[in-house]
Amino acid sequence: MTTTPGFLDVAAAAKTFGAATVLDGVDLAVARGEFVSLLGPSGCGKTTLLRIVAGLIAPDGGRVVLDGDDITRRPPHRRDVGVVFQNYALFPHLDVAGNVGFGLKARGRKTAEIGPSVERHLDLVRMGAFADRPVKALSGGQQQRVAVARALAIEPKLMLLDEPFSALDRKLREAMQIDLKRILREVGTTAIFVTHDQDEALTMSDRIAVMHAGRIEQLGTPSEIYHRPATAFALDFVGLSTRLAGRVVSASGGEVVVETALGRIPARANLYPGSAAVVGVRPERIRLDAAGPCTVAATLTDVAFQGARVLLHGAAAEGDRVLVEAPSLPDGAGQGTRLTLSWALEDTLVFPAEGEAS
Amino acid sequence: MTGFRRLDPVSLLVAPAVGYLGLVYGLPLLLLLGHSFVVDGTPSIASFVRFFADPFDWMVIANTLRIALAVTLVSLVIGWPTAIALARAKGAAQAAILVAIILPLSVGVVVKAFAWQIVLRRDGVVSQALVWLHVWDEPQRLLFTETGLVVGAVNVFVPFMILPIYSVLKLVDPRLDEAAATLGAGPFFRFFLVALPLSLPGIVTGVAFVFSMAVSMYVVPSLLIGDRFQTLATLTGRSFLFMRNPQLGSTTAVVLLVLAVAVVVGSAKLSRRFGGAS
Repeated sequence: MTTTPGFLDVAAAAKTFGAATVLDGVDLAVARGEFVSLLGPSGCGKTTLLRIVAGLIAPDGGRVVLDGDDITRRPPHRRDVGVVFQNYALFPHLDVAGNVGFGLKARGRKTAEIGPSVERHLDLVRMGAFADRPVKALSGGQQQRVAVARALAIEPKLMLLDEPFSALDRKLREAMQIDLKRILREVGTTAIFVTHDQDEALTMSDRIAVMHAGRIEQLGTPSEIYHRPATAFALDFVGLSTRLAGRVVSASGGEVVVETALGRIPARANLYPGSAAVVGVRPERIRLDAAGPCTVAATLTDVAFQGARVLLHGAAAEGDRVLVEAPSLPDGAGQGTRLTLSWALEDTLVFPAEGEAS
Repeated sequence: MTGFRRLDPVSLLVAPAVGYLGLVYGLPLLLLLGHSFVVDGTPSIASFVRFFADPFDWMVIANTLRIALAVTLVSLVIGWPTAIALARAKGAAQAAILVAIILPLSVGVVVKAFAWQIVLRRDGVVSQALVWLHVWDEPQRLLFTETGLVVGAVNVFVPFMILPIYSVLKLVDPRLDEAAATLGAGPFFRFFLVALPLSLPGIVTGVAFVFSMAVSMYVVPSLLIGDRFQTLATLTGRSFLFMRNPQLGSTTAVVLLVLAVAVVVGSAKLSRRFGGAS
């Protein structure tokens, strides 16, 4: 993804609530038609960023530019930004069609125009048969669909979705994720999606912004985020990984060696000798042999059966973690078995420890 | 509610209240009704015919409705914004407003009415203040005027407007206003299409409370406007207590009951149609 001037451009957005800095000068550029997720734990500022783009809170500093218009100071009702709220926020005094038609009515459109639009958008979310139901009579998933249709009916330049599936059970959530992607692709709407669920972000997004403590730590495609996490936080937050704390003992020509509790591990990185570092390896990259070039030994402590694969947990020091994915439990292995683990040099991910200058 | 179900034992919990009200309220009401429809021992509507033939009685009905409507309207205009403020306030501010609304309920109506007598006199604080502000050239008496009556009655009844509206508003999700805004609705549109219909159930309850109390109030008009101004309630009282005419008293009581029920039920119906499904 090249950095073209964004369809949505957020520049240096900042917000503090009292003494707490919630957003610490965030930049975000989103291309037309793109689906970008803001992923992070609660309190990372992702919802605040979304609400600033929606115009529901004013930033202390920074700019929001949408389709060439600076909308930083524009009230929400003049932004053309559709929002799907976490609890849906459907109007309880209106029926399904009344909810979906609300935005067009607010824009002063004629009834003859509202009717067909409501019908089209309800069909899009497969809720056509429910037009005259009261919203209170709908299930959570159905309310979710109506909320999506309501936001789409205003034909917004930008869709913002604030953890829209967090109240749904897992099966329904996965079905809705696929459905929402299909709908947004059909309509061609640019969307920003807030979630704390990494699987959801990986499944749905064109790009993911991993947020932590009011900043975007990494912005990239799901594959980039997973395979090439930019920080130790991104490594931890997205996907599973072996994680070993250590210290750089030598560095030369773009390669370092990190001393960890399980031994010395080589990696490609530019870090100063003596600095604290974190080494990470994705579990599916680790082989149960000594082929190297990175080789360590660990004691098997736990086996988690996951259907098509097993996840092996190794003994690790406080704060460390050893995780290996294998097709099945090796013959004769059990708790306490000594395992030899190895992986390729390029699969060693290494980061300066948090709080350490790189 | 389809057909009969087996009696739920829990419904027996209302038995004491039903029994009590039936004995001390329902039975006398029936006797009263009976009284108004019986003349000289035979069933007759003669007393109603006589009542409606007298222009004085029409004036009493007009007085009653005019005062009750004014009290309800002023209570609504004052009470609704207060309820919004109360629902949006947090912590200590909310507690302070609630106490300010509820605490005065512990002062009896008679005490309040006597207090207003003093406040509304020619040399009372209101008159003095208005003269001092040059609104009035000389002290005037507000006591024994309709304005004085409405002012005093609103003071007594306004909590019954605020509390039902507040109890509805505090359950309204604040995100609904945000959702309406993101859908393109400006403040004016949001008020009439979201805030108003959502607070309507509370407004209907508040209006019903205040109107039914204001249409039937007896102590407040007796003390603040006196005998020269009659309402159905004070006329009913006079008929029984001074004129010794239970026939007229029960007739005016029935007229009052019908009027009050009609207005309360009618306004609820009207608002339900206006507010859509809620």
